[in-house]
Amino acid sequence: MPNIAVFIEQRDGVLKKVAWQMISEARRIADASGGEVWGVFLGTDPSAAAAEAGKYGADKVFSATGEEFNQYNSEFYGTALAAFCKSAGPDILLIGSTAMGKDLGPKVAAKLECACISDAVSLKFGGTWEVRRPIFAGKCFVDVTPKSAMAVVGIRPNAFILEEKTAPAAGETFDAGTAGIDPKAVVKSIEAAGAGKIELTEAEIIVSGGRGIKGPENYELIEKLADSLGAAAGASRAIVDAGWVDYGNQVGQTGKTVGPNLYIACGISGAIQHLAGMSSSKCIVAINKDANAPIFKVADYGIVGDLFDIVPTLTDEIGKIRS
Amino acid sequence: MKIAVCVKQVPDSETRINLAAPAAELDESGFTRVLNPYDAYAVEEAIKIKDAGEGVEVTAITIGPDTVKETLKKDCLAVGCDKAVIITDPALDGADESALATVLTAALGRDSYDLILFGIKAIDDDSGQIGIMVAEKMGLPHVSTITQLEMAEGSLTAHREIEGGKEVVTASLPAVLTCQKGLNEPRLPSLPNIMKAGMKPMETLTCADLGIEVPASLVEIKLYSPPPSRAECKLVEAEEPAAAARELARLLHEEAKVI
Repeated sequence: MPNIAVFIEQRDGVLKKVAWQMISEARRIADASGGEVWGVFLGTDPSAAAAEAGKYGADKVFSATGEEFNQYNSEFYGTALAAFCKSAGPDILLIGSTAMGKDLGPKVAAKLECACISDAVSLKFGGTWEVRRPIFAGKCFVDVTPKSAMAVVGIRPNAFILEEKTAPAAGETFDAGTAGIDPKAVVKSIEAAGAGKIELTEAEIIVSGGRGIKGPENYELIEKLADSLGAAAGASRAIVDAGWVDYGNQVGQTGKTVGPNLYIACGISGAIQHLAGMSSSKCIVAINKDANAPIFKVADYGIVGDLFDIVPTLTDEIGKIRS
Repeated sequence: MKIAVCVKQVPDSETRINLAAPAAELDESGFTRVLNPYDAYAVEEAIKIKDAGEGVEVTAITIGPDTVKETLKKDCLAVGCDKAVIITDPALDGADESALATVLTAALGRDSYDLILFGIKAIDDDSGQIGIMVAEKMGLPHVSTITQLEMAEGSLTAHREIEGGKEVVTASLPAVLTCQKGLNEPRLPSLPNIMKAGMKPMETLTCADLGIEVPASLVEIKLYSPPPSRAECKLVEAEEPAAAARELARLLHEEAKVI
């Protein structure tokens, strides 16, 4: 009868979708094995989090409110989540593998001296937990089991399917234990990279470009196709290292590991370190001049041809379909 | 000023994993081992601080078998680290992140470092936990995933990568940082410096030397499995490229239902 706690991340009051994915999966596990699903919220106003969490099957939403949670700070957030785990005693705490979650999970686990598992894509309960996660950026998977009574598990965005329920969640509060803390690291400001930019690790569709785009000026083709799909734009290591595109766009073993619903690789041959980072995508499309390129080995659909002839028409056609 | 850089030797990014069916262990034969690429950014940042200041000493610290010495020599000492510490203990084989963080905390506690640098994660285990855990265990502030760093007297300012932008974070020293691609361009070692690196101090220690018991692991590895196999690629062919593009859009919309 595991009680499953799910951290509900907010930035500037915006709640992250990965929380609802985790609550949906937690609900499925709890329905099969008993136990409850608890949301945990840190911020100033828990009402939206409680309403949304209930919609996806949370039984309760525990919240701690205060000015110290307006902006992410690992000391305040880590202390609060550890205090929650000690008082409420969940069997497992799920945290989305976002920039915030990756920073917070190990902090909380170290405070609780409990097992910490990063970036999981599947979760099973049969008396003990069995957690599956990709390693080597997805070249293989490993199943692990926490040995401590409590565990902190990071969950990759889009790993779990959303499922709406109807019952509302009950609201509860907890003492975050943050009084008197004077953090030694503080966020002074946040600089946005550009309005409306979709993050690779959270994107449902990604369009990536490689050496086949021939020069930095042609990356625009990739961005236009991405825009037509509401997608994030990615890149191979080759064009990042060549300085054509910012490193933040790199997909692969030394960049972002992604698993969107649709991944369109344009002019990417498919080096093993790139394939590792994207081959868990649900549908893969390859557009490449070389019919023998390794990218076609992982692709579901492919066109052997010049991306300069294909991508603009594809962009127009998708625009028509989506309008 | 004393800087510690915690590094790991990993199979390089071109490594293929030979795993046809689920197995309790990975076949590691034929792996080419290198310095974890993210750790190279940590090493480079430490050397940049050393080059810019007076009296900066950089120590590279790792946990691993005897074979890590070559990587430490070539990729840490030969590019400017002053000394290296290797914690080698067969009892640490298969240890989890929490156990390794405890060992590193003990090793780092033997000296007083102003700055402790890590890569954001190792490209084999992909966990990204140890730097943050070490900071917590040592009671130090941390800034993870940094892409820019400025040092000041007793404090630092770092840019931390987040979704759609960056946070500008200040922290007091001592502090722990984890380094992301984009922070710097790691230098390559020169042949003469590789030769000279052999003269620099390299200390090998066990858990007993650190005065600790071998810490218990809290996560147990059960099974490795290959990624699910993918269906055969459906090649879209047409008289001309534009027609193929239109057909592809139709298939993605009507057949795959992904757009």
